[in-house]
Amino acid sequence: MKKLHTILLISIVLCLIACNKETATTQTDVMNNLLVNKIWYLDYSITGNNSKSYVGQSTYFVTYLKDGLTRDSDGLIGNYTVEIVNNQSQIHIMMKTINGNSFELIYDIISVGNTKLVLSKQIVSGTPTQLFFTSK
Amino acid sequence: MQIRKIVPSKHSLFFILVIITSNAVSAQTLNKDLHSHKGWSLFGALTLNNQSINDAGITAPINYLYNSENNNAFKAGYSGGFRWDGVINQQHRYSLIFSANRVSTGTNYEHKYTLAPFIEDFTHFKADNQFTNLSFAAHYKMLLPVNDMQKFKFYAVLGPSIDYKITMISSENLINGAGNRAYINGDLGAEFDNKGYYILYAHYKLGANLLSSSVSIQMNRLEMGMSIKLKDLF
Repeated sequence: MKKLHTILLISIVLCLIACNKETATTQTDVMNNLLVNKIWYLDYSITGNNSKSYVGQSTYFVTYLKDGLTRDSDGLIGNYTVEIVNNQSQIHIMMKTINGNSFELIYDIISVGNTKLVLSKQIVSGTPTQLFFTSK
Repeated sequence: MQIRKIVPSKHSLFFILVIITSNAVSAQTLNKDLHSHKGWSLFGALTLNNQSINDAGITAPINYLYNSENNNAFKAGYSGGFRWDGVINQQHRYSLIFSANRVSTGTNYEHKYTLAPFIEDFTHFKADNQFTNLSFAAHYKMLLPVNDMQKFKFYAVLGPSIDYKITMISSENLINGAGNRAYINGDLGAEFDNKGYYILYAHYKLGANLLSSSVSIQMNRLEMGMSIKLKDLF
């Protein structure tokens, strides 16, 4: 009987400790949930000291769908994944142009939320451009 | 070498006087009410809850609108459970409390962040503000020399308690090792015992994460409740 009580107690403790822990995909899952099924409108783009505002103009927008597809206002369509590479959260996009050509874009996620998204476009050389989006 | 003279304040002298007086008084009246004091009780309580969040340790690039998430108020929850009142060495009264708490809490975020040129303020963490926890408390009860102590008894209570969250922790709360289930509290309160029939009480609990975490949470909880002896109920 004493053994049974001990086993029961250990089981309860293990169950309480084990359940609901952070996993390798917790952060990307949360970021994905914040990103998907919204229309992100570009409000500002900043390259070095050069800042441009597009607030209220709906000049450029992009959507990330739950099934991994992304499309933007320029007519570009692609597949995206949210990844963490060397502790940097990124969106990897395999784009297809209207002509059918493929190319990869990588954005560093500076910040993502329910209504605000800040990305930094990775480039080989020069100053990266930061893009500030708002979902409406 | 500088020697600092320690002078007790007026408040601490008064507190010491109350302790000495109450111990002397409780020794006189203890034998008569030991039997009525001991035993299991059932209790229910209304709770008011507030938590203070320090999310400085969060590195994940996630933002939440500060004005939407921050609500530095006390929100109401409820609590119920059992308690055992007992006496050690015919002198020291204590209570052991086992409870389940449904917590709804206001949340105060200590840090604001900006993402210029956006004009809003942000937090990096969104705390769970509704959850259920199990709690265990061990309180030392000090009889206060107030009123006719043969009839009514007033106690000051003091002691630690531990809360363990049993509801699911949201994914947002698990990022960067922020997930917290266990809290340790320091409890302080007052109790009114009406001839052993029932006890009315108010306890204030100040808690913090039991284990290290990237997000430190300070819990404030005020419990106001009533306990009734089980033998009187059943």
